[in-house]
This record gives sequence, structure tokens and C-alpha cells, in this order.
Amino acid sequence: MNDSITPHDAMRRVLEIYPGAQRALFRRFHIGGCASCGFQPEETLEDLCRRNNLDVAEVIRHIASSHQQDQELQIAPRDLAALRQKGPVRLVDIRTREEFEAARIEGAVLFSQPLMQEILGHWPRAELVVIYDHLGRQSLDAAAFFLGHGFTQVRCLRGGLDAWSSEADPAVPRYELEYAT
Amino acid sequence: MNTPDDLQKRIEAAARDPQNLGELQGADAVGTAGSAACGDLIRMWIKFKEQSGKKVIDKATFQSFGCETAIAVASLATELIRGKTAEEVLAMSPEQLAPGLGPLPPVRIHCTQLVETALHSALQPQPASKPEPSPDPSPATALAPSLMDKFTQPPHPAGKPKIIFKSSR
Repeated sequence: MNDSITPHDAMRRVLEIYPGAQRALFRRFHIGGCASCGFQPEETLEDLCRRNNLDVAEVIRHIASSHQQDQELQIAPRDLAALRQKGPVRLVDIRTREEFEAARIEGAVLFSQPLMQEILGHWPRAELVVIYDHLGRQSLDAAAFFLGHGFTQVRCLRGGLDAWSSEADPAVPRYELEYAT
Repeated sequence: MNTPDDLQKRIEAAARDPQNLGELQGADAVGTAGSAACGDLIRMWIKFKEQSGKKVIDKATFQSFGCETAIAVASLATELIRGKTAEEVLAMSPEQLAPGLGPLPPVRIHCTQLVETALHSALQPQPASKPEPSPDPSPATALAPSLMDKFTQPPHPAGKPKIIFKSSR
């Protein structure tokens, strides 16, 4: 399978080849962050760019660099621990309330719609904000969302709370989620 | 010239201290646009008064989640439409609702349109009978999950999970 993308590719294929493409699009162009600026899976990249008045070649170059951008968004547990020793760091936990109550990083706040409005309206955009989830799989999307809203120092915790427990603070219990079948 | 940095600063300033935020008790009209599930819901409340024989907007308020550009536009629009008739507001373009922001780039126009849609929903005469709700979008027109969907919706459809702690040894 050819791993390059062309203007004629559907967004579904673009996201298959570059899983970080949606984050990259929102960070830079404010596309794909919510229903109002979303796109259809079968819409071509060319059509998406046309209706948003964007240069498709520039967009393709930007998407191609998305993996590197994702890497730069992450902070290692030990690096976060070192930063917390120097001073308070804003921590946002995007897991469920049940998970938050079971185990969390001290000082973290649980994400909610009211908190999102508080963040967008009042948190300083140039200060470090670290977002974490359980295993580091969803926090990249959350970080990209806030980057797209002008938060220049937002990061996500690599490996999530599980990695934090393994690499930085074993006092935080590790856990698994079991779903009813 | 409205550079991206200038625009971002204006939006941040308007969104940091939004005017007319919150539900308006005793409102004469309410309009909604967007989707709460996706976090881009905006709701507007409007109260009228009589002035020089005309029915004009006395006060307008809003609530919004998500897009700070929509918050900024709604804040400016609720100030701007005070004293205008419903017909005057309905004749305004999205760009006219928030002139303080200057021209918005195409990728942010949808935020302005969200406010315009909520206003129209509140101000346009209501049909005598309620229309049937629209069917769910077909697969051909459904949107791909947004970033917000990805980090706010549960990763598993089977409901609340059970938390199983791992032993420390």
C-alpha cells in the first residue's frame, strides 16, 4: 500500500495513513475539533481544503509532519515529576469520574464541560498544562484540541497514569478496566 | 489587517470576560444551535421591551460550551443587538454580529454561524406545528468523530467499566 497521500484521497484514508492527521489539522487550521468544523470520512482532502480556503499542498506537508508533532506534545512521567518538584503544574485528568476517584495524580482536576469552559475562558494560554488519561491513548487528542485553541504549552503524559505509576510514583495504584460482556 | 495573532488576542480578550453569560430568567425567546454531545452547543435567551412603538431587544444572554470563538462572538453579538428589532437582527450577516473581531478566517466562520443560527432560532416566527425531527445523518453524510468526541466519549460502548487494581508485586 502506498503510504503517501494525495489531494484526491478521502479523509478516511488520510487518517489511516497518518493517525495524527486530525490533531495536526486542528492544531494548525481549526478543522476537525468539533461537529461544526468537522469533516466527512469520504470527503476528499482537496474538497476539505477548498471549502476551508486552504492550500492543499501546504496541508499535506503539515499532515506528513504530524507524527513528529505528536512526539513533541508528550512529556515523560519522570520529566513531569521533576517539574512538579520545582513548582505546581496544572494537571487535567480526562478519565471517568470512577477512575479519577480510584487513582489519580495529586493535584489533578477532573475534566468536565464546566471545567473546559473555565480553561478556555480563564487559564493562561502560555503556562504549562499537562493532560493525562489511563494509558496515554486519548490525551494526545485532548492536547491537540487545546493547542488548537491557542494553549501553547499544553502537553500530554506519555503512557498516561499507568506509566506515571510505573515510572514516577508507585504509590499511585495501577489498574485495568473490565467491561461487562 | 487582522493577523492571526491579532485575531487570537481579540478572541481571547472577548472570551476571557464574556458579557451576558448565563440563562435569562423570564426570557421571551430562546434559541439553540449546535450539539451538546460534541461540546459546541450554544443557547441564547432574548427579552424584548417596547420602545417608541417598536418591540426591541432589551437584553440577550447566552451559554456556550467549547469553542472560544463562539463565546467571543456571542458575547459581542448580545451587546450589539440590544435595542434592535428582531427583523433588524435577522437581516444581519454573521460578520456584522461581531465587528470587533474583524474579518474571521474561513476556518473560524462556523463559530460565527453557530451564533447566527441560535439567534435565528430564537427570533424567527415559529411554525404552527412542530416539524418532525430530522432523521439521523446517513453514513454518507455523517461526520468523522471530532477530537472532542475522541477524548470525551467513553472508549467502550458497554457502559461503566469495573476497575481492577493490579497487585503491586
